[in-house]
Amino acid sequence: MTSDFHPSPLAFEPSKFTRPFWDACRRHVLQAASCNACSHLFLPAGPVCPQCWSADLGAEALSGRGEIAAFTIYRQAYHPDYPVPYVIALIALKEGPRLISNIVGCAPESVASGMSVTVRFASRGEFVLPLFVPAMAEDSNDA
Amino acid sequence: MAVHRAVIAGIGHTAFGRFVGRTALDLEAEAVLQAISDAGLAKHDVDGLITDPGPTQGVINGITPHFLTLGQHLGLSPDFVGSEVLGGASSAASIQRAVMAIEAGLCSVCVCVYGDAALSSPGSFAYGRGEESVFGFFGATGLHALAAQRHMAHYGTRPEHFAEVAIAARAHAARTPHAQLREPLDLDGYLASRLVAEPLRRADCCLISDGAAAVVVCAADRARDMRRAPVSILGFGQAHSLCTWSSPGHFDALPAARCGPATLERAGLAINDIDVVLLYDCFTIAVLMQLEDYGFCKKGEAGPFVEGGRIGPGGSLPVNTSGGLMAEGYGGGMMHVIEAVRQLRGEAGDRQIKGAQTALISGHGLGMNTHATLILGQ
Ligand SMILES: [Zn+2]
Repeated sequence: MTSDFHPSPLAFEPSKFTRPFWDACRRHVLQAASCNACSHLFLPAGPVCPQCWSADLGAEALSGRGEIAAFTIYRQAYHPDYPVPYVIALIALKEGPRLISNIVGCAPESVASGMSVTVRFASRGEFVLPLFVPAMAEDSNDA
Repeated sequence: MAVHRAVIAGIGHTAFGRFVGRTALDLEAEAVLQAISDAGLAKHDVDGLITDPGPTQGVINGITPHFLTLGQHLGLSPDFVGSEVLGGASSAASIQRAVMAIEAGLCSVCVCVYGDAALSSPGSFAYGRGEESVFGFFGATGLHALAAQRHMAHYGTRPEHFAEVAIAARAHAARTPHAQLREPLDLDGYLASRLVAEPLRRADCCLISDGAAAVVVCAADRARDMRRAPVSILGFGQAHSLCTWSSPGHFDALPAARCGPATLERAGLAINDIDVVLLYDCFTIAVLMQLEDYGFCKKGEAGPFVEGGRIGPGGSLPVNTSGGLMAEGYGGGMMHVIEAVRQLRGEAGDRQIKGAQTALISGHGLGMNTHATLILGQ
């Protein structure tokens, strides 16, 4: 865990295990770590498969589709780079892995549990982040 | 009843609130000196020290050998030391570690101390959560908000149910002379409280406090020399869920669902045998989930269960009789242990639960990852 917000969260340094995930985002690919021994797909990537402990790992591109398992609308600002309101969601991807991201491209109040979402890459600082939009709104440009 | 060969012999704590100029270190020292005095012991008796460095000294500002700093200033050369870094489960876990060390013969008088100057120190509670902070996922509130939102969506839990927990805490605190927040709260006041991370409001969150609390655990065979009647340790246990994002059930049940029943079994008790219930209450949702996971009510039914002031003073299941983290003050979880001791000694004043013989204390920490359960008895 980071100790504070100086510099911005957008200046964080990925670990050697998570760097491939962020590099793939630059190519607008959402990927999970994959286990060559048991086929488990997982996020975040790490030294071994958390299911079978095999170290024979690769990466697999995901569809970028999933649904909202849980969400919250931040109403209190914690950092000047993150003006409120914004939506934090736990997204259950179609292929199994879950990740935390933002829901954009719709009013925060319209977000609901179980809503289908699809990935939308957006540049933020030095990073390209995998954000999510409602599946019906995937052609909009406001991410 | 299974009884451990270690007991709680003394308690001590500072005031809780904002104390500009005080540091965690001097707060902790005050609590330790009080607890040792309460036990009728002296510095030369202490041969164990376990510290819970609190949020700003521990999780947020980096894990340091906290026992070293405190032990150095207390002039101790103990036979056993440690610092617990299980977040909100640390205090309950520190008592457990002390009992294990005493039963293993490593020490005989172990002081467990929580302390932090979280309100006056420069550390921030708005810490990020790993790489997810790049999305603006900050603080413990957002994380618990995910669980609260799921509870509402799955079970129909309403803001009024969260309000019951916050209102009960304040009502208990009104009967606790040393509590930090003794002003009553009603439903209108709860609903007027500003949203932090929906559905959680400021009133759903625990306090931030400067303060410290210490508990002396000692070998049972030494207890007859003690000033105070010892409090027995009937059982303890831990369970942890470390795969925060990838466990499909992570936000639906706490590890308490595992260590709660296991600890009751070790103590030879059923959940209905517990007289004093002290649940780690960092957020209202955490209390609702624990009521379910400990088996006070069925999964998903904690909302209706707490209706009508059930967990408030005079309710059929008073929870956190001192006001807990939400109103007594943020005491890490050690103040939950101290309240249990006071109730079991019959020293809880206006909030005394008549005939209290057993108490259950919980600790819950980090990203809803850690849990510790402690059952005490007379
Ligand atoms: Zn595997």
